[in-house]
Amino acid sequence: MKNILVRLAKRIFAGIIMVLVMASFTFFLVRMMPGNPVSAKYNELIMRGMTPVQAMDEVRVMYGFIPHQPLWQQYLHYLVQILHLNLGTSISYEGVPVLHIILDAAPWTIILVTTGLIASFIVGVLAGVIAAVKRSSPTGNAITLSGSIMHGIPQFVMGLFLAYVFTTLWAILPFGAPYNAALTPGFNGPFISSLVRHAILPVATYALSSYGGWLLTMKSSVITVLGDDFILASEVRGIKAKTRVRYIAHNAILPLFTIFALSIGFMFGGSLFIEDIFDYPGLGNLLLHAIDARDYPLMSGAFLLITVAVIVANIFADFLYSVVDPRIRR
Amino acid sequence: MSLAATTEAPSKNSPGPAGHPSFLKNAWRVIAKKPGRLLGLAIIVLFTLMAIFGPYLYPRQLPINPNAIYAPISWHYPLGTDFEGTSNLALIVTGARYVLFAAAMAAVFTVVFGTALGLISGYYLGWPDSVIMRVTDFILTIPGFPLLVVLSTIWNFGQPMAMGFVLGITGWGGLARAVRSQTLSLRERGFIEAARTLGLSPFHILFKEILPNVGSYIAMNLLLAVTGSIYAEVGLFFLGVVPFQVNNWGVMLNLAVFSAGAMSSTQALPYLLSPLLALLILTLGVVLFLDAVDEMFNPRLKEA
Repeated sequence: MKNILVRLAKRIFAGIIMVLVMASFTFFLVRMMPGNPVSAKYNELIMRGMTPVQAMDEVRVMYGFIPHQPLWQQYLHYLVQILHLNLGTSISYEGVPVLHIILDAAPWTIILVTTGLIASFIVGVLAGVIAAVKRSSPTGNAITLSGSIMHGIPQFVMGLFLAYVFTTLWAILPFGAPYNAALTPGFNGPFISSLVRHAILPVATYALSSYGGWLLTMKSSVITVLGDDFILASEVRGIKAKTRVRYIAHNAILPLFTIFALSIGFMFGGSLFIEDIFDYPGLGNLLLHAIDARDYPLMSGAFLLITVAVIVANIFADFLYSVVDPRIRR
Repeated sequence: MSLAATTEAPSKNSPGPAGHPSFLKNAWRVIAKKPGRLLGLAIIVLFTLMAIFGPYLYPRQLPINPNAIYAPISWHYPLGTDFEGTSNLALIVTGARYVLFAAAMAAVFTVVFGTALGLISGYYLGWPDSVIMRVTDFILTIPGFPLLVVLSTIWNFGQPMAMGFVLGITGWGGLARAVRSQTLSLRERGFIEAARTLGLSPFHILFKEILPNVGSYIAMNLLLAVTGSIYAEVGLFFLGVVPFQVNNWGVMLNLAVFSAGAMSSTQALPYLLSPLLALLILTLGVVLFLDAVDEMFNPRLKEA
């Protein structure tokens, strides 16, 4: 148990470093931009007739750093602000703190990604086991083929296809806002059903686009474990089939944790396409809006939150892995 | 990528180096064995030719035709036309160069970075290994696509080279890890130990002894990196975060969905479907061909 906690602490520490590195990256990115938006904004405010002091205050609130300080001082100031969770104020939503906007958008993305991930994991892993056990039968081949095809189709193609079929061809599912604006949010039947109906298509896109990866990895993992000596030994010793399946499952699922990291990043990356196609108000959509509107504080904030979400999910997966894999406990 | 990582280590009789005279003959024998592989090769060759010669087939400024806006599919316009009456086929053919060139560059960068870092990390161990693996973990963890989108605000992606470089920089993590784990198991093998005892230089051991044995991973990753990069770059243009300086498939998709309203009007549907069709056919070609590459480079699958 102690080992697990030490490992967890190390992971959290590495995660914090990673977040700070990404924050620094966006800081320097905004500073390196052609026409440096910070001084551009400062000059614009001066032109509008503000006094330098007023203009500087305004820019400081907006971007979280001050235009006329040496770069390292600005950088330190920015990092301190980040640690206080102050990400500046948005430019396109005038005067609203960035943190407020991104925290509003975050749940939509996180809930959709998590639902899609869990759904594709369960279906993909089960299908992978079947494909591995029946690998020389037509059923197994068909399942493997479905995985390869799903794995090969890019997310935006999948999203466009689902949007076309279910909102244009047969207009049976809505898209756009996360729920029907005419309904009052709350714990009531119509509201929840509207929430679910709006989420079906995005979640299906997430799930279908990652199903193939789980399936193919699980299949090859199960085939490897089936060839292991301990499975043969347990069969020879006459251990019950049910117990043997548990042995197989326990060992075959371990490699999946290592691709979890890739999958999480892929899902959050996909939120840009999926939320853009279905016009869903999550972090991906926000990031795109911020780039379109040249709203750099919001852009940095949204990107940072996506990074944090991915890192937290990774730490969580690693923690689960160390609980499941007995070799790490020793 | 994940599949390649879980297959077993190739055995020690290494495939001949690429320059070996029998290599091409052997490659052809492997490809010709299944019609699917031949089809895959044909698709890849067709698209490569399109990328190289496509822009020369049409005038620099593609002709527009105000009388044939969103024309249906016909002999004259095999894939219909766009919002200006330009043939979609011409747009696809001329747009292939940017897409494929950038993808090829991305694949080359991915393979060079991933292979070099994986070999060094797995062979030398010690501090180079821990530094490289830290960086690899970092690259693998940060969400690559949002990073690309953010980078597009400052980086000029108009040049396929720039696009390929950035895609390569953000995409080498998986390959580096796979190459490292292969190198780790290879360095304990007899033939590597023999080479070390003979006093051969680390350069020779790394590139002449170990590299051929990880060839199958590299070849598989090269092709997977090509498709992955095509999706990423077309995706970037589709989202419209990169300024449209050049015509390519992603720009077509973006205009079709967000300007032409192809999702709700059947009239503009060919404009949307043409780039999708091009993408899917190319992917199909790569997937079919991948099977042959696996057999070509993986000594375990090779028949005596």
